[in-house]
Amino acid sequence: MMDNEVIIETIDLSRHFGALVAVDSVNIKVHRNTLHAIIGPNGAGKTTLFNLLSGNLSPTNGKVIFKGKDITNKPVYKFIHHGIGRSFQITNIFPNLTVFENIRLASQAMEKGNFKFWMNASRLPRCEQRTWEVIERVGLKERAHLIASTLPHGDQRKLELGMILAPDPEVLLLDEPTAGMAAEQVPELIQLIKEIQQAGNKTVMLVEHNMNVVMSISNVITVMHLGKVLAEGTPSAIAANKEVQTAYLGGLYELDV
Amino acid sequence: MLKTRISFFREQRNPIILLLITLALPFIIGIFEGSSPLMVWANQGSISKFIEGLGIEIFILALYALSFDLIFGVTGLLSFGHAMFFAVGAYLTGIALKTLGLPLYAVIGLVFVAAIVQAVLFGLVLPRVKGITFALVTLGMASVFHIVVMSSDVANYTGGDVGLQGVVVPAFINPAIERLRFYFIALIILFLAYWLYKVFVSSPTGRVCVAIRENEDRAKMLGYNTFKFKLAALMLASITAAFAGTLHALYQPVISPTIADLGFTVTALLIVLIGGVGTLSGAVIGALVYRLLDFVLRRYIGASASLVTGAIYVAFVLFIPYGIMGTWQLKKWAWKEGIQRLLRLFQVKPEEGEPKPQQSK
Ligand SMILES: Nc1ncnc2c1ncn2[C@@H]1O[C@H](COP(=O)(O)OP(=O)(O)OP(=O)(O)O)[C@@H](O)[C@H]1O
Ligand SMILES: [Mg+2]
Repeated sequence: MMDNEVIIETIDLSRHFGALVAVDSVNIKVHRNTLHAIIGPNGAGKTTLFNLLSGNLSPTNGKVIFKGKDITNKPVYKFIHHGIGRSFQITNIFPNLTVFENIRLASQAMEKGNFKFWMNASRLPRCEQRTWEVIERVGLKERAHLIASTLPHGDQRKLELGMILAPDPEVLLLDEPTAGMAAEQVPELIQLIKEIQQAGNKTVMLVEHNMNVVMSISNVITVMHLGKVLAEGTPSAIAANKEVQTAYLGGLYELDV
Repeated sequence: MLKTRISFFREQRNPIILLLITLALPFIIGIFEGSSPLMVWANQGSISKFIEGLGIEIFILALYALSFDLIFGVTGLLSFGHAMFFAVGAYLTGIALKTLGLPLYAVIGLVFVAAIVQAVLFGLVLPRVKGITFALVTLGMASVFHIVVMSSDVANYTGGDVGLQGVVVPAFINPAIERLRFYFIALIILFLAYWLYKVFVSSPTGRVCVAIRENEDRAKMLGYNTFKFKLAALMLASITAAFAGTLHALYQPVISPTIADLGFTVTALLIVLIGGVGTLSGAVIGALVYRLLDFVLRRYIGASASLVTGAIYVAFVLFIPYGIMGTWQLKKWAWKEGIQRLLRLFQVKPEEGEPKPQQSK
C-alpha cells in the first residue's frame, strides 16, 4: 500500500491567523488509492489543513504538491479541475435550490459548454445522467426535488457528500462527513465512502472524530495536535503510540480489533 | 427538438397571451373612443395614441428593470450604478444622432460597443469587491458619469443640466408621427429581451449565475470561475439597459440627466421589489404597476404624490415581500408577517411576554 505513488505532498506547510499558528510546518505525503485519515483534538488545525489543500486558503509558508506539480496559490476554482474535491464540516450547499440542482451544478462544472447561454441546461447530456447517478448513490432519490434547506441535517450531509462525488475527483477531502448525523446513519455513510474509495481507485483524506470508524477504514492515520503532525502510521501503530495516547487519545481509546 | 419547442410555448403561454393582448390594445382602445382600427393604424385616435405613449414608457422601463433583475435578482450583484447603463445608451444615441449625424444602424452598433465597454469597466472591479462594496464602487462610477454629463464643459453635447434636446429621430420611427410603429417595435424588443432572459436563466450559464447569488464561495469551489459568469450577466444587462436607453432617447423629446442619477437606479430597484426579485416577469409587471401608479397619483393627488407613492412601496415591501410575481409563484401571502413587521417598524413589540414567536407553531 505504502509503495504507491505520492499524490499529494505538503512541504513545510504553515498557516498563521495573526499570532495563532493553525497549521505549523506540516509535511505529509498522501499515497494514491489510500484512505488517509487526519485526526486530532478540536482546534488541531485539520480543517485549516484541508483549506490549504483545497485552495480555500493560501498558506503563510510552504507548498502543496499535487502529482508532482506545485499547486500552491492556484485559484480555488481550479482545484476540482486538477482533481481535488472537498466537502465541508459545516454543510455548505445552495440552500434555496433543489437537491437535484445542487448536485447538477456540481457536475455541470466539469462539462464543456458552461457558456452556452442559449441552450437549456437540461440538455447537457452527461450532466443530467451523472446527477441522477449521484443522487441515487447517496440515497436522496425520493428527495431530489426538495429545496435543500428543508432537508433534515442527515440528508444535508448526504447532499454535501453528493456534491463532491458528482465531479468525480481523484482526491476527495472529506471534512467530518458524518458530523452531526444520527448515530444509526453513520455506518451507512462510512460504508459508502469506503466503497467509493475502493471501487473508483480514489484517494480519500478523511477527518473524523469517531475512533472506531477511523481505525476500521483507514490505511494511514496522521495525528495532528496544535497545528503540528504528532504521529503518522497505520491504525494499529497509531493505537499503540504512547505519545498519541497521552496527547490525544488520553488512554480512552482501546483498540478493539 | 420539436418537443422542447412545444413545451417552451406551453411554459411561456402567459407572456405570449399578454403579448398578443398588448399588440391589440391600441385597436381595442380605439374601438372605445370611436376610432376604427384603420384610424388607429394611421395614428389618428387620440386616446389610443396616448395609451401607446404610456405603453412605450412602460416597455422601456420594463426593459431597464429586466436588466437590473438579471444582475441583482438572478446573479445577486447589487449595483447602485445601473442608471449609468441606461444613460450611456440614451446619451450616446442622442449625441450620435444630433451631433455626429450618424444613421440609426451605426448608432445601434455604437451603443452595442459602448455597452460592452461599460460592462467590462464594471467587471474590472468585480474580482476585488463584494456585496456592499460593489454597490458603493458602482455608485461611484455612475456618479462620476452623472457629474460629467451635467458639467458645462460638455454641455454642447449633452445639454448639461437642462438635458439633451433637438435630437432628430428618423421619420420612420419618429414617435410623434409613427407612434403605433414605435409602440410595436418597443413591445417586440421587450418581448424578445424577456424571452432571451428566460432562455439565459435556464441555460448552464444562467444556472451558475443563480448559484453565485446563493453561495458564491461554494460555486467557486465547485470549479466555476465566477468572475466570468458575473461578467456575462453584466454584459447582457448592460446591452439591454443601453438599448432601453436608446429607445428612451428616440421616444423622449428631452433626455434629462435625471436618468443618470442614483434615483433612477432606485427606480429599477423599486420596480424589481414590487414585481418580485429574480422572477424576470416581475420586472415587467413591476414596471407596469410603477408607471401606472405614478401616473394615477400624479394626476389625482398632485403634489403629495411622492409621499403616497413612498407609503405604498413601504406597504409593498412589508406585505408582499416576494413581490407580485414572487408571491404568485409561491402562492404565499404574508399578511401576518407584514403586520408584525409594521409593528416592529413602529417599535411596538408583538406578543409581549410570550416565548419567542418562532417556537410557537
Ligand atoms: N479563519 C480563521 N481565522 C482565525 N482563526 C482561525 C480561522 N480558522 C481557524 N482558526 C483557528 O485555527 C485553529 C485550528 O482550527 P481548525 O478549524 O483547523 O481546527 P480543526 O482541527 O478542524 O478543529 P475541529 O475538530 O473543531 O473541526 C483554531 O484555533 C481556530 O480557532
Ligand atoms: Mg474542523
